[in-house]
Amino acid sequence: MECLLGLVGKDFVITVTDTSAIRSITVLKHNEDKTRVLSPHTLISFSGEAGDTINFSEYLQKNIQLYGIRNNIELTPAAAAHFVRRELAEALRSRNAYQANLLLSGYDKKKGPSLYWIDHLAALVQRPFAAHGYCGYYCTSMFDRYYRPNMDLEEAKDLIRKCLQELHHRFIINLPRFSVKVVDKDGIREIEL
Amino acid sequence: MDMLATNPAVHPTSTAKQAAFSPYADHGGTNLAIAGADYCILASDTRQSSGYNINTRFAPKTFKLSDKSVLATAGCQPDCNMVVTRVKHSMKGYKYTHNKEMSTPAIAQMLSIMLYQKRFFPYYDFNILGGLDEEGKGCVFCYDAVGSYERVPCNAYGSASALIQPFLDNQVRNKNQQGKEKVTEFDPVARLSIDEAMRIVKDAFTSATERDIYTGDFLQIFIVTSAGVEEQLHPLKRD
Amino acid sequence: MISDIVAQYTTPEASLGFGSEALPSQRGFLSGDVAHQFNSLAFDLPRTQDPVDFLHTYTDVKSAEDNLIKLAHGTTTLAFKYASGVVVATDSRATQGSVISSQSVKKVIEINPYLLGTMAGGAADCAFWERELGRRCRLYELRNKERISVAAASKLLANMVYSYKGMGLSMGTMISGWDKTGPNLFYVDNDGLRLKGDLFSVGSGATYAYGVLDSGYNHELSKADAIELGKRSIYHATHRDAYSGGSVRVFHINESGWEFISLTDVDDLHWEYTDQARAP
Repeated sequence: MECLLGLVGKDFVITVTDTSAIRSITVLKHNEDKTRVLSPHTLISFSGEAGDTINFSEYLQKNIQLYGIRNNIELTPAAAAHFVRRELAEALRSRNAYQANLLLSGYDKKKGPSLYWIDHLAALVQRPFAAHGYCGYYCTSMFDRYYRPNMDLEEAKDLIRKCLQELHHRFIINLPRFSVKVVDKDGIREIEL
Repeated sequence: MDMLATNPAVHPTSTAKQAAFSPYADHGGTNLAIAGADYCILASDTRQSSGYNINTRFAPKTFKLSDKSVLATAGCQPDCNMVVTRVKHSMKGYKYTHNKEMSTPAIAQMLSIMLYQKRFFPYYDFNILGGLDEEGKGCVFCYDAVGSYERVPCNAYGSASALIQPFLDNQVRNKNQQGKEKVTEFDPVARLSIDEAMRIVKDAFTSATERDIYTGDFLQIFIVTSAGVEEQLHPLKRD
Repeated sequence: MISDIVAQYTTPEASLGFGSEALPSQRGFLSGDVAHQFNSLAFDLPRTQDPVDFLHTYTDVKSAEDNLIKLAHGTTTLAFKYASGVVVATDSRATQGSVISSQSVKKVIEINPYLLGTMAGGAADCAFWERELGRRCRLYELRNKERISVAAASKLLANMVYSYKGMGLSMGTMISGWDKTGPNLFYVDNDGLRLKGDLFSVGSGATYAYGVLDSGYNHELSKADAIELGKRSIYHATHRDAYSGGSVRVFHINESGWEFISLTDVDDLHWEYTDQARAP
C-alpha cells in the first residue's frame, strides 16, 4: 500500500513518500514522515513492516551520524548505501530480520546526485529512478516514457506530478498526501509540488 | 535393496515421526469466591476428571497460603500444583527476609508477575486469590492464564463458571436489580452477611452439580475472617 | 547513595530479553530477598522446535474457538488532544472467546501522576509492560532529577515490545501525558510501531468510535464538550461492537497531571441519549 518514488535530476535527487500510517483497514495518521536524514546530504525513505522500518532507519541514522562525529567526515552516499545494504544483509541472516524497503538518495560534492534502491532482501542497485510498492506498477513505465537524464527541477516536478495524478486516477488505495523532498548541494529540503 | 533394509532412516515404515508437544489437559472443576466487608469465602468442588472419566472424587485444588489468604486454582492439575508451590515458596522467602507475612494484595501482584514470566509457555491455570487486605476488608483477585488480574467482589472460574457467574452477578453485585445498591469497583465487597453469602455459595454449587458433568462429589469451603481460616467440607451429588 | 539504590533495581542489559534457561524460581531465593526473582525480565520458553508456533496452538491470538487457554481480549479505547489537554476514554469489557469475562476492567493504566496508558489487545501484555514502563520511568526520574517526557516514555515501551516482535505479544496502547512541551499523545503497538498524533482509537470497536469522534472533533472544544465527545464515541462503539461494553471510563489530562472524570454504565448512557434524541 505504501508508495516510495525517487528520481535523479541534473544536480539533485527528488523523492516522494506517501504520508499515511495504516493499520488493518484504518488510517491511523495522515502526516507520517517516512524518511530519515542520514547525513546532511543523504536521505533515506522507507516502507515495509511496521516497527521494523523506523527502528532500522533510526539505527542507520544514529550510526552514520556517529561515524560523522568520530571521523569528522561524512559518509558519501555510495558508502552509506553499502553500509545500509550490509547491515540489512547481516540482519537477514540473524533471528530478527528487518522487513524494510529503502530508497537512499544523496548528493556527493564530487560525483553529484545518486539514488540507490534497496529491497528487504538487501539487494542494492543504483538507479536514475526507482520505486517501491504498488505505485511502481504505475510509475516505472511513466519514468521509462518521460524520464531524461539531466532534467532540471521543474521538469522533474512535472514528471512527479504526472505520476501522482495517475495514482489518484487509477490506484484503488487512497493516498491523499505525499511528502516531496529534494537532496542537492545545499542539503535536504521539503518542497511543494 | 540391502541399504533399504538396514538403514532405518530410509525404511518406509520407520521414518521418524515427531509427536506433537502437548503438555496441557483440562481436569475440570469449579471455584468460586465472594469478598465481604470483613470476610472472604472461597469454595471449590473436589472432583477431578479427564474427559468422561472421573479420576478421583477428592482432589482439593484450593489451598490456604496464610491466615489471611487462600488460593483457588482450576485448569491443568500439574500447572495448578506448580503455581501453588511457587507462591508458597516465595511467601516463605519473603517471611524469612522481612519477618512478616505477605499481604493478600502483595501476593496478588506477585502471582501476576509469576504467571507473566510464563507468557510464552503459559500455565494452564485460572486462579482466584481471596482473603483479607491490609485493612481487614475481604478481597478477591481473579486472573487469566498469563497474569492479567482484577480485584472483584465475587468470581467463579472453572468448568461451571458460565453457569455460576451470572447468578453471582445478580445476587452479589446486584446487577440489573431495580432499587438495590450496585456493587462497583470503588468498593468491591458484597453487601451480604456471611450467612447470606454462604447460602449463595452452597446454592451455586448444588445447582452447578446438576448441570455440569465436571463438578460434583465434595464442596470445600474456606472462610477467611480476622479469626483465621475456617475450612468446611460438604457433600455434593456424586453422579 | 541514590545511585546505589537505582543500580539495585536496574536490569543489567545482558540479562534483558528471553533465552535464559533457568527457572525464575531457581534464581535469587538463596541470595536473600525473594523479590530478586522478578528483577530480570526472563521468560520461560517451551522446549520445542518453534516456541512461537507452540504458543499460537494453545493460546488464542485471534480468538479461535477450540484453543485451550483463552486470554482476555477485545476493546474500544480512544484518546485525543485538544486545546486544553487530552481526553482518554475506554470501555470496560473483557472477553475470552465469546464469554464476557469481565465488565469492570480498568483499561486506563496510571503509569505515574503525569502519564496514562490505555489497554487494548492482551490484557496481561498491556498491564505487565506498562507496569514495567512505570518502573523505568521512575528510575529515569531518580537518575535525571526530572520527569521523563511522553515521547521518551513511549519510546521505552515501543523498544521493549519491539524486542519481542513476532513472539505473540498483543498490545495496542496510547501513551498520553503532559510534559515540558505540553500535552502529548503517542500510539504504540506490539509491532513496535510508535506514532505521534492528535487523535487515535484502538481496538475492535475503534472504527465505530472513529466515526463519531472524527465528525464531532474540533481542536477548540471546551473541556466539558471534549469529555462528552469521548464518552459518546465509546458509547456508540459499545453499541455496535459486541466485544466492547460495560461502562465508559473517562480521564482528562492537563498541566497538573491526569484526573479521573467518570465511570458510567453504558446502559444508563443509552437511555440518557435515547431520551435526548426524543426530546422536542
